[in-house]
Amino acid sequence: MAEQLLAAEDLGKTYGTTVQTVALSDVSFVLHTGEFAAVIGQSGSGKSTLLNLIGLLDTPTTGRVLLNGQDASATSRRQRAALRNELIGFVFQFHYLLPEFSVLENVLMPGRIAGASPAVLRPRAEEVLALLGLEGLESKGANDLSGGQKQRVAVARALMNRPALVLADEPTGNLDSENTKAVYELFRRLNSELGTAFLIVTHARAVAQQTDRILEVQDGRLLQDERNSHLEWEPAAAPAGEAVASTGAA
Amino acid sequence: MLSLTIAARFLRKSPAQSVLIVAGIAVGIGVQVFLGSLITSLQASLVDQTIGHSPQVMVQSSTDGQPVAYGPALKQTLTSQPAVTTVVPTRTFSAIYRQGQVSAPLELTGGQLDQLNTIYDISGRISAGKAQLGPGDVLVGKDFAAKNGLSPGSRLILVLPSGKPAGLMISGVFDFGSAAANLATAFVDGGYAAGVLGYTGDQYSAIDMQVHNVFDSKKVAAQLKTQPAVRGLKVSEWQSQNSDLLSALKSQSYSSYMIQFFVLVAVALGIASTLAISAVQKTRQIGILKAMGMEDRRSGRIFLWQAAILGLGGAAVGVGAGLALIGLFTYLGRNSSALFPIHPQVWFIALSFAVGVLVAMLSSLIPSRRTTKLDPIEVIQGG
Repeated sequence: MAEQLLAAEDLGKTYGTTVQTVALSDVSFVLHTGEFAAVIGQSGSGKSTLLNLIGLLDTPTTGRVLLNGQDASATSRRQRAALRNELIGFVFQFHYLLPEFSVLENVLMPGRIAGASPAVLRPRAEEVLALLGLEGLESKGANDLSGGQKQRVAVARALMNRPALVLADEPTGNLDSENTKAVYELFRRLNSELGTAFLIVTHARAVAQQTDRILEVQDGRLLQDERNSHLEWEPAAAPAGEAVASTGAA
Repeated sequence: MLSLTIAARFLRKSPAQSVLIVAGIAVGIGVQVFLGSLITSLQASLVDQTIGHSPQVMVQSSTDGQPVAYGPALKQTLTSQPAVTTVVPTRTFSAIYRQGQVSAPLELTGGQLDQLNTIYDISGRISAGKAQLGPGDVLVGKDFAAKNGLSPGSRLILVLPSGKPAGLMISGVFDFGSAAANLATAFVDGGYAAGVLGYTGDQYSAIDMQVHNVFDSKKVAAQLKTQPAVRGLKVSEWQSQNSDLLSALKSQSYSSYMIQFFVLVAVALGIASTLAISAVQKTRQIGILKAMGMEDRRSGRIFLWQAAILGLGGAAVGVGAGLALIGLFTYLGRNSSALFPIHPQVWFIALSFAVGVLVAMLSSLIPSRRTTKLDPIEVIQGG
């Protein structure tokens, strides 16, 4: 059985002091090494909040996040930054590439933040870029790429430090159906070839069904945690409020 | 040095903004270098003209009109003071110049020409005749000579303090650059003055001194008063006798400091506001860098590095601009006796440069602090 990579224990997030808004409440689940899972839910359901909490970008109001068995919620900002750099790769809906840097420099950035020199990191960056079909674009500026290319560079950057977990928040939200399909196929391939765990936030059930496991969030609570039987690829987004066909909670 | 690399890239990405900040710092430091050097040189020129060729510390008898015995002990005490550059014993008396119906008072200082030169630089300021002080010779000022139709070789008839008349030969005419000094001052041989005053060989009216830094005269005078050889004598110095001049010099310094201070404040505010805008513009980049694991302090250093680069560039350009202004000032005044030469001091330029960099660095503290506190979630949630 795969090792436990991440555990969310009774995670909750409440915003505001005088008027309180509960964004997430009592969410618990475990993610294992090499898993390929999705978090689905409607807009405002709390799925991005969940991703931010387990990605150590935000701190929970209640509960805790265990990463490799370590209570990451109890660590300092500095330690959380180091854990993010070492263990987690992020892919967001917006690519968030640094326009001041070239494609290669953007991909090198997580390694440089870790303290390695560009010369040492370069072979790894070129390997990742080749894996994503981005050879020849190394010296291009981040703003000189197409939308699909930018998102692939963002994926390459997320993979640079060989993270154990990639957290992707609506990673294809700004892409057309062709690029959407390509990105998910890429995620699947990287998951198979590298053994990197993926947790992908999406509002589209059809997209989520390409993963092995679906965590459904509704009104800030984990509604279902189901193992998926793969369907044929359907790039069109699922309609909002679509009924969930449970295949059994994990 | 990732923070430095990122800082440099941020600056390169916004060249117009970077050039404007550098120009702002350069203007401030340029003004600082030019104005500071101008005021310093103006003061040096004023000091040189007013007291540079005068005794700055004097030892006299505590009883008016009585001589000072300049014996070995006193000589050893005065010449061994590290702050003292020149010690010249002088004999001074007043006389009335009389020529027909015309009469004018004269203050005659007697001494050895080579010693007098160390204070008054008489030989270097001769405008007619020659610098010579033999027995019976007298050197008079340009204005006195012109007013009375005298020139080298003319005979000067004086009425001495004893009431007796005396005749001296004008060997040279000097120009001290001051009409008052040129009208009322004259120099004679020390032996001749001793005879007029009735002094013996080691008796003098005063022991005149100059010091390394003219503004140390009070300290030197106070120190001398504690010396056994000086006990019972009167020690005076120029500052207590020229309070108006001192006040004017101080006022000039303070006004210069105020101008420089407010110029630097304006520069600091300009840099701070521009860097603050830059910090806001780069919030997304900083947020994503932090999401990737960049530590808070390291991200804050990005703006410190930016400020350092801008400060170094701006200060370097500013020093160059300041020196160019000084060069222009000197060039324009090359034929004008009304203008004085500006001598930029290396230490002052180095200080101005350092102040420029420091002001830029201090100006970056607010944006740097803001960056340090930025939570990546603010950027991620803000899209």
